Amino acid sequence: MSDYLHIQNIHKDFSGLKVLTGVDFKVREKERHAVIGPNGAGKTTLFNIISGKFKPSSGAILLRGEDISGKPADVLNRHGLSRSFQITNVFQELSVFDNILTGVRSRHGLRYHFFRKPAMNRVLTEKTEAILEKVGLADVKDQPASSLSYGQQRALEIGITLSTEPELILLDEPTAGMTREETEHAIKMIDQVTAGLTLIIIEHDMDVVFSLADTISVLHYGTILVCDAPDKIRCDQRVKDAYLGEG
Amino acid sequence: MKQKSISLITIVVLFAVAAVMPAVLKQYHLNMLTEIIIFALYAVSYNLLLGYAGLLSFGHASFFGLAAFATAVSIINIPGLSIWNVILISVAVTTLAGFALGGLLLRHKGAYFALLTLAFNSILFAIATKWHSVTGGDDGLSITRPDLSLGFTTIPLASLTNFYYLTLVVLGLAIIFCWYFTKTAMGQTVLLMRENEDRMKFLGYNTNISRLILFTFSGAVAGLAGIFYTFHFQFVSISAISGDMSTTVLLIAFVGGTKKFWGPILGAFVYIILQNYLSDVTDRWPLVMGMIFVLMVLFVPGGLSDVITNLWHKFFGKKDDKDGKLTTAEEVRP
Repeated sequence: MSDYLHIQNIHKDFSGLKVLTGVDFKVREKERHAVIGPNGAGKTTLFNIISGKFKPSSGAILLRGEDISGKPADVLNRHGLSRSFQITNVFQELSVFDNILTGVRSRHGLRYHFFRKPAMNRVLTEKTEAILEKVGLADVKDQPASSLSYGQQRALEIGITLSTEPELILLDEPTAGMTREETEHAIKMIDQVTAGLTLIIIEHDMDVVFSLADTISVLHYGTILVCDAPDKIRCDQRVKDAYLGEG
Repeated sequence: MKQKSISLITIVVLFAVAAVMPAVLKQYHLNMLTEIIIFALYAVSYNLLLGYAGLLSFGHASFFGLAAFATAVSIINIPGLSIWNVILISVAVTTLAGFALGGLLLRHKGAYFALLTLAFNSILFAIATKWHSVTGGDDGLSITRPDLSLGFTTIPLASLTNFYYLTLVVLGLAIIFCWYFTKTAMGQTVLLMRENEDRMKFLGYNTNISRLILFTFSGAVAGLAGIFYTFHFQFVSISAISGDMSTTVLLIAFVGGTKKFWGPILGAFVYIILQNYLSDVTDRWPLVMGMIFVLMVLFVPGGLSDVITNLWHKFFGKKDDKDGKLTTAEEVRP
C-alpha cells in the first residue's frame, strides 16, 4: 500500500519552547496508527498541527502527496480529515441529535444556506440516525448533550468526529477518564466505527493501543523514538526506558 | 409540527390584529405603531448579531442611518424614482457597506470589535455632519414619500393609513424572514458558532465567512428599517446615523431581551411607547429611560421576554430547568 499520510520532519516551537523537533512518520491507507508517549511529549501538539489548529514551524504533511500543512481546520475537514478532542468538545446545550446533524449537514454542503432547513432534510436526518445508532446514542438523541454521562459524552465526541464522513480520523485519547468497563466498550465501538478508515489515535491506555493499532509511533521529547508493529514496540528497550518501563 | 402550527397561528393573529388597527387607533397612535414596527425590525436585525452570533456592536446605526440617507438622497436627486427602486438602491448601499465594514472589522473580536464599530459609526456621523451639500448637515433632508406603484394601480402614500399598511406588510414580512432565517442552515451555523466556534471549524465550517455573511445580512435588514424611518418621518437628520441611534437599538434589544427572537420586538413596543409618553411628561425623558435601563440590567438582565417566559412556565407548567440559559438555541430548534 502506498503512503497515505506522510508526516515529514515537523518542527514546532512556541516562542522559543521547542515542542516538536523533527517528527517523521508515515501512515498507510486504512492503517490504525497509534501515537504514544509520556505526558508532555507533544502528542496533542502534533494532532493540532495535523488537523490544522496550529501551523508547523517547519516541515510538511503530505496527504496523498499533497502538502496540507498550515491549511485551516475547516479546509482540512472538507479534505476528509476529522478529529476528536481529548477534553470533550461538543455542543453542550444542543440535543445529541443536533450535535451529529451539524457535522452531517456540513458534509452535504448545507452550511451557509439562507433558505433550507437542515432538520427538514430526510437524507440528513437518516444519516444522523445511522451515526447515533453506531455510537450507541440513539436512545438519548433528544436529550441535551450536557445531560449525558461522561461515557456517553465521549461516545458523542466520536459520533461528531464521524459525522463528516471522514477518510482519516484522528482520535485524541478517546478513553481518557473512563472506567475499565467503559474503556472496553469504547474500544469495541471505535474498532467498529472506524473499520475501513485510516485512524491515528493518541492513547495513554496501553490495552487500548495494543488491541487497536497496527503500527505504533512512540513520541519522546518532540521526536519519534521508534515506529513499528505493536509486538516489536513491546520488546523495544528504548521504548521501555522512555515510557513503558515507568508503568 | 405542533410548534410549527403555533408559530403560524401567532403570525396570522398578529397580522390580523395589526390590520384592523387603523380602524381602531387615532392618527397619533397609528403613527406610533408605524414607528414601533420600524424599530422592531431594526432591533431584530441587531439581535441577529447580539443574541444569535454573540457580536456586540456599538455601531448598528451605521447601516440604519446610511440607508436612511441613501433613501432621502436618491429621492431628492433622482426625480421620478419609484419606491421600489429607492428601496433597492438603499438596500444595495447598506449591503455593500456591511460587506466592506464587516471585512475590515470582523478580524477583531470582543471589545476590539465593539470599539471599532463605534469608531466607524463616529466616522460616518462626522461625514454626515460635514458633507452639507449631500446630507444637508445639521439641517437634515426633507422628502415627500413617493407613491406606491403596483403596476396596475398607484396607491398614494401621503395618507398615513396607506403607509402604515405598506410598512406592516414589507417590514412584517422582513421580520418573519429573519425568524425563518434563524432556523435555516445559515442561521443555525451562526448560533452554533457562538456555542462552540472551535468545533465548527473542525466540522468544515468557515467561521470567518459565516460571520461576514451574517454581519452583511444584519446590516441590510437594519438598512430596510432605516429606509422606512425616512419614509415615515419624511425627513432624515444626522441623528439617524448617530451614536444615539446605535445606543437606542442596544437599549431596545436589552429591554426586550436578547435570548428570544420576539424579545426585541417587545422591546420596541415598550421603548417607543415609553419614550412618547415620557417625552410628553418631561423634557428630561432620556434620564428616566437611562434609569430604567440601568435597573433592568441590574435586576432583569434577561429582559422582559425572559420575565414573561418564566411567568408562563410558572403558571402553565413546564419548569424552565435550563434557567433561561441559551434559550435561543432551544427556541430555534424546529
